[in-house]
Amino acid sequence: MSYEVMVGNKAAATACKLARVQVASAFPITPQTTITQYLSEMYANAEWDFDFVNVEGELSSQVVVQGASRVGARTFTCTSGPGLLYMHHPMQTTGSGRLPVVMAVVHRSYKGMQPDHSDLMSQEWTGWAHWYVEHAQEILDTILMAYKVAEDPRIRIPIAVGYDGYVLSYTAEPVEIPDQDLVDEWLPPNKAIPEVLPDKVDPSTFGRGWGGGDPQMAWKVHHDAILKIEEVHKEVMDSFEKTFGRRYGNAMIETYKMEDAEVAIMAMGTITGTCKAAVDRMQANGKKVGLIKLRSYIPFPNKDLLEWGKKLGGIAVVDRSICPGKGGPSFQKLRDTLFDLKDKERPKMLQFHAGLGGKEVRVRDFEMIGDKILKVAKGGKVENLVTWV
Amino acid sequence: MIEIRLHGRGGQGAVTASRILATAAYEEGQYSQAIPMYGTERRGAPLTAFVRLDNQRVRERMLVHNPDISIVLDPLIAKQQAVVDDLKEGGLVLLNTAESPEDVKLGGDFKVATVDATTIALETLGRPITNTAILGAFVKITGAMKLESIEKAIKKYFPGRLGDMNIAAVRRSYEEVKGPIQAVVKTGSQEKIDINVGGYGVLKDVSSWRLFTPEIDVDKCIGCKNCWIFCPETAIQWDEAKKKPYFEYRKCKGCGVCENECPVKAIEMVRVEV
Amino acid sequence: MSERITRVQIPMEEMGITPGSACQGCGAALAARLAFKALGPNVIRHGIPCCPDTVTATPQVGGVFEGGGALLTGTSRGLKALGREDVLSVGFFGDGGTYDIGFQGLSAAAERNENILVITKDNEAYMNTGNQRSGSTPKYAITSTNPVGPNSRGKGQQKKNIPFIFAAHYVPYVATASVAFPEDLIAKVNYAKTIKGFRMIIIQSPCPVGWRFEPEKTIEIARAGVQSGVWPLYEIMDGKDFKLNYKPKELKPVTEYLKPQARFRHMTEAEIAEVQEDTASKWQNVLKADEMGRVVI
Repeated sequence: MSYEVMVGNKAAATACKLARVQVASAFPITPQTTITQYLSEMYANAEWDFDFVNVEGELSSQVVVQGASRVGARTFTCTSGPGLLYMHHPMQTTGSGRLPVVMAVVHRSYKGMQPDHSDLMSQEWTGWAHWYVEHAQEILDTILMAYKVAEDPRIRIPIAVGYDGYVLSYTAEPVEIPDQDLVDEWLPPNKAIPEVLPDKVDPSTFGRGWGGGDPQMAWKVHHDAILKIEEVHKEVMDSFEKTFGRRYGNAMIETYKMEDAEVAIMAMGTITGTCKAAVDRMQANGKKVGLIKLRSYIPFPNKDLLEWGKKLGGIAVVDRSICPGKGGPSFQKLRDTLFDLKDKERPKMLQFHAGLGGKEVRVRDFEMIGDKILKVAKGGKVENLVTWV
Repeated sequence: MIEIRLHGRGGQGAVTASRILATAAYEEGQYSQAIPMYGTERRGAPLTAFVRLDNQRVRERMLVHNPDISIVLDPLIAKQQAVVDDLKEGGLVLLNTAESPEDVKLGGDFKVATVDATTIALETLGRPITNTAILGAFVKITGAMKLESIEKAIKKYFPGRLGDMNIAAVRRSYEEVKGPIQAVVKTGSQEKIDINVGGYGVLKDVSSWRLFTPEIDVDKCIGCKNCWIFCPETAIQWDEAKKKPYFEYRKCKGCGVCENECPVKAIEMVRVEV
Repeated sequence: MSERITRVQIPMEEMGITPGSACQGCGAALAARLAFKALGPNVIRHGIPCCPDTVTATPQVGGVFEGGGALLTGTSRGLKALGREDVLSVGFFGDGGTYDIGFQGLSAAAERNENILVITKDNEAYMNTGNQRSGSTPKYAITSTNPVGPNSRGKGQQKKNIPFIFAAHYVPYVATASVAFPEDLIAKVNYAKTIKGFRMIIIQSPCPVGWRFEPEKTIEIARAGVQSGVWPLYEIMDGKDFKLNYKPKELKPVTEYLKPQARFRHMTEAEIAEVQEDTASKWQNVLKADEMGRVVI
């Protein structure tokens, strides 16, 4: 095991190498750009048996990995903001095609180049799993875990791993790099079912027309398959800890100092790190505020949040995105999850928007959030359901 | 509410017929809904359309599953038992055929009316497009609307001389329709040929697409293999031993390329018996 | 370049599973039948939105309309990673997926010289959705989005010269073909199978419904297209070497091609003369290239 002080994008590229990705394709876009460069260098230096395809646009990069994944290769792609929007069309065919593609989304706002979660959030409907990570080590570890989950024969769903541009993609931190041998043992080659090869194809699949059968079923099957990810993801997290000595909560969420907490702040991405620092300060001042770091947005950790919801007096949900005209995604989803709790059990919930458009989120912002949720949990009047930080 | 199902071929105006009916109904203050069978319509392939007529806005937005009336625009399709499938008990079928209602072989509990709309169309329009010709017959046997309303609707879709010709067709079928009488046959043939062809994929039998069938005089054949190589559906196979072609008719759509490409006129496209 | 074959050398085995759901007399159905006859079973066939033509006994991969080039790339690279370069990545696309919405991705795949074979069935409009004009529609043709009226004489612009555009990517092989010349078509597919890199064959595929002629005339019209010089048959190797495969002493007049198609029925004498002149001029270009044995690009 070695380490290197590296930026988030390098951690992503390093994970590709460790996972022995066979075909990768990407088109450069800020703040993902350097991943394409790292991968190109690794390809040029023949660092492992790997093919990198320089395409003319993000849409093509998605289709390239789709094609390679279907014949059974392990694939990777990455993009940001508008690049993700551009590939929206084939992204849903990767999802519907049940192809185990792993994609890094280096968050970039629709409105500017700096990070927020509008890019990945707006792709909710493409039928992928959506995971969010906090720091460079987590990028590397999570991409490895993503392959193990995506390629599991019970799953076979593509996974998007989102991390914030600039503050994470271009910020350097020490990252531990697991031994290649250990990774090879833990993550064997992709055993995709290459039924598309001529000598393996099932002739009964020739000439199937469209239509016939219940047209709704494809959606139900897809939905159910994504819900199943929770179970496998948790298994893989356990297995990762056993092999590499690190874990991130129970995979779906990671809690920080929640043991005696009365209220929680729930958030995703790099701001959870800042929040952890704020939690330390608040608890030192006797304020019982903890953090629930949301790692898996799709599938949503309904079970975990129901359990926590019952125990807590309040949850402050921080969304680093908003669906214009509709509202913050994880706030609305949390309210839906907790709706059926009895009135006594249901915590107070407040919506916060922070960091949109890349606006800096600071420790003191979380302290303000902590104060507000504590007040409301203790019976204070809700002045504003939604606060823009 | 009256629910109508129309059977026709792609490119022969079944959908236009449904729109004309719906327009004519509206002329009389009747509401309507005209639905094509959603799917890709291939030239020559059998297809289905639906019309609902009511004295209030039609709310149901689904296919017609149990029609009161089935109207068949094509004389070959008129022979398929499937055109009377799922008719309401005591329903009505109107067939474009030269047969009299007594001779119709379709079986079940319904009334049958017939009109030779193809001949009428050929004589008034010069083409065998029966979508308007059959509407006169429809109006006569159902009384669902006035003939003038159909004529007004036709003028909306076919201006000028074309409109006049179509109106002539409508008037003739109004006069010449026979029946309706109770169906003579109680149980129809169980053989099922696909009369709803759409979408992509392999089909079992496209015989119902043919208006003409290729027949070969093998004695004339010089073995050039033109017919074999140019058939888009591989309906023509090559017998290496005899050095002659033979047909796999279930694959033949009757396009006529083989007749056109045979250098010695050994193949003739023969009109399918109606 | 391709080696000429005779009719007896055309393989008897059919890769098509018929009958399919194409229209009566569909030129594209025949194009698929002939191309896959030559290709055989060791291919992965890729499709994007287009008309149904002939289903083939090959594994199929479908992709988004604009993704033909990228999809073939992915499969080809994936096969290489798996050590299965014996399997050919073949795309069978329409003109929409080649000339227009699919153009960008195909151009990029050509520029990267991906190891793929693209076969385009060119019926000169977006036929599956009801005959809308495309970059492949010839000038004056009527389509549902280029009807004739006081404001319009059908399509007002020329058809893109896709074979030369792709040849200008300096790829190993670009060829034109016609369903009326099956030996030439199959010879070209045979040749494409023997080399690596980006290969493209564009097959003119007359459409009875869209071009408005009786289905029995499909081959007759395809033949007239070649014999009048509207659709010359040629091959370009490496964006350099040029061979004209069908070189009659005299071209038939374009009226033989235009008259049977009602999509050209509205054309005036002057417009027909314009097309005749344009065809003759372009024919001079290919004659010259054939004389030199190369293209100047």
